[in-house]
Amino acid sequence: MEEYVLVCEDSMEGILTGVYEAYQLKKDMGIASHDSIHLAVSEPDVHRLFTTYRKIDADREKAEKVTNTMIRQLGSETWYRLTMAMASCFEDKADAVYHTIALGLRTHDRRITDRLQENCVQNVFQYARASDNELCHLKQFLRFSELQNGILFAKMDAKHHVLPFLMPHFAERLPAENFVIYDENQQIYGLHASFQKWYILQGADFDEERLVYSETEEMYQKLFKRFCDSIAIEVRINPGLQMNMLPLRFRPNMTEFQDQAGATLHK
Amino acid sequence: MCDIIKANRDLEKLFAFIICSLFELIQAGERDFDMDYIAQNAHCSSLTDKKMNIALHETSTQTIMDKLAILTDAAKYDVACTSSGVDRKGNGRDMGSCVAAGICHSFSADGRCISLLKILMSNECAYDCKYCVNRRSNDVPRATFTPDEICELTMNFYKRNYIEGLFLSSGIINNPSYTMELIYQTLYKLRNVYRFRGYVHVKGIPGADPMLIQQVGYLADRMSVNLELPTAEGLEKLAPNKHRKTILAPMRQIQNGIAQGKRELALYKNAPSFVPAGQSTQMIIGATPESDYQIMTVAEGLYDKFGMKRVFYSAYVGVNEDKALPSIQTASPLLREHRLYQADWLLRFYQFRVDELLNEKHQNFNILLDPKCDWALQHLEQFPVEINRADYRMLLRVPGIGVKSAQRICKARRSGALDFDHLKKIGVVLKRALYFITCSGKMMYRTKLEEDYITRNLLAEHEKLPFDKDGMTYKQLTLFDDAQENVSLFTGCREEADGESMQRFDSLMRRQV
Repeated sequence: MEEYVLVCEDSMEGILTGVYEAYQLKKDMGIASHDSIHLAVSEPDVHRLFTTYRKIDADREKAEKVTNTMIRQLGSETWYRLTMAMASCFEDKADAVYHTIALGLRTHDRRITDRLQENCVQNVFQYARASDNELCHLKQFLRFSELQNGILFAKMDAKHHVLPFLMPHFAERLPAENFVIYDENQQIYGLHASFQKWYILQGADFDEERLVYSETEEMYQKLFKRFCDSIAIEVRINPGLQMNMLPLRFRPNMTEFQDQAGATLHK
Repeated sequence: MCDIIKANRDLEKLFAFIICSLFELIQAGERDFDMDYIAQNAHCSSLTDKKMNIALHETSTQTIMDKLAILTDAAKYDVACTSSGVDRKGNGRDMGSCVAAGICHSFSADGRCISLLKILMSNECAYDCKYCVNRRSNDVPRATFTPDEICELTMNFYKRNYIEGLFLSSGIINNPSYTMELIYQTLYKLRNVYRFRGYVHVKGIPGADPMLIQQVGYLADRMSVNLELPTAEGLEKLAPNKHRKTILAPMRQIQNGIAQGKRELALYKNAPSFVPAGQSTQMIIGATPESDYQIMTVAEGLYDKFGMKRVFYSAYVGVNEDKALPSIQTASPLLREHRLYQADWLLRFYQFRVDELLNEKHQNFNILLDPKCDWALQHLEQFPVEINRADYRMLLRVPGIGVKSAQRICKARRSGALDFDHLKKIGVVLKRALYFITCSGKMMYRTKLEEDYITRNLLAEHEKLPFDKDGMTYKQLTLFDDAQENVSLFTGCREEADGESMQRFDSLMRRQV
């Protein structure tokens, strides 16, 4: 039997458009089951036999239709899980999300994400967990530094596309501040101006060398480093445990681990 | 400051007044002052012939960096560094919000979480508790923060996402009420002048005026009064200035305050919240000879009767030489502390009671097995458990199944039977659970339901201890090891934090998938 693979753009809009098109395709071609349609976020290197590949362009309107149906039929809890899965960096996330949606809509199950027996749900669960974990980590480990003009600047290196989820968190707690979060991996910026909405900015150039820090910035960085040094109890020093809790990959961007060779131990 | 204290041992009666005067002078910016002046004010003739000029170099020339180092160092033995228990959204104007689960912002070299700016207001102390590094008779550098310094530090650290809030404790300056008032002033400033909406954890000082405790309670998110030692006898022996009664009184007051606050909130939407994140306490383990059974019974009493959110256990770290204390070389009982935390978890999340885990005959936890495995092996008649039918409470009791996986099992089995493959993906640690469960009537392998057999197999798996990462750390054994001395093989330990630990618990489960 012939199979179809819809190759969509790697964004939430792209994937949701893919879902829309997949339903359309199923209807148009009279395909019996969703199982013979797949979504992918990138064209595979090797094409399979008896498979038709189609490229799908992201379409805002179609994506919105799918979003509305989802929230109405499956609830916002499920919707949140699915968006977290879509924000992750895994190759077959689009397919897992699509089949979970299909299964949920078919069975009218608002608790579809609990059905961990199903493979696609299991995958969505894993992917959502991965990006959710990273989101948690970044809420913990993101560090701002104050620039000369009072703007707070933070740099991060996220595996998953979590910046849009991170911005509301900081916008809520620092409403009066102007701050910028730069995601080095995705090359995007989150901008927040004092008492205003936040934005995501793409495609701007960035030169870290040109940043000028405020006069007190160095002092507060030193104070915090000193604090972290003093708070550890010597007889309980345990780098292994520290590493479990605070993975090495976050440390290059963290104030208290900067300017330290090895960057694993405080003392 | 400590110079003065030493020089005037014989003048203890005048102490309170002199310290008070010194404080005024320090606050007025005086650097040198004459003992005569103070003595005259104290109407004391015996002092005048001593003619002492005391330069307060320590206090006056300290930079904020020195103070931070001294007062952090002095606060580090306090266990609780959690920012959980209260969900407070930002108000769109002031800095700060709180997340129910709490957020750990960093982890120090000992692997403990740094969530709050944990400092003492001052490490001056009028008390002389034997185990404490800040006791009056210790010659350590002393420092005191001003309220403004604390506020500035908190705001600037918070804005950079270094911390989730402030943890403020203090040595006893002058007397408990005086100290509590200083803490109140600081919190008042932080909340009302600096308009900080983040998390604040503050220590209730036993013996302070109840009015002050009440007022502080309206500004703080969590309050804690340290129980210090599990039993009243221990307290009497090691902390001569503290009494069980004065410790329990503010605890009870805070508990009642919280209950009343909840009632008021139910009636009036904008009633000020009193200690919304609840209260916690901590006790030192291993400085006095209590058994695990005694300790856990005390903890259970605190949860049941005082409505504690958390009880923290702090493995005794020897900092002072004293004949009433274990020798300073004694290794910190980290494994014991770990077992107590495990049991504490069983009480709070797994619906266990202390009597099920320990009794008069078995006073201490098994060193080799965690308390839950140990319980299961003693109660084999209740196993195996059928995963697709057992109730939630029983699922929780299966070794290898945690809170999260039990919840997931309950949700998933609504839409179809689960088998071992599913369980593995859900996060159940099968290598431990397989002896105790069946899926649709079948066990995973052919195993015997026999205590010895299962114990042997479980022990072969090597329990993952937080401080046993690379097998073991070699340390010289001393001749005078006590029962908990197996612990000396390990270094470092983790300290559980409140809501974060649920997350962490979850992530531990995940890692084992």
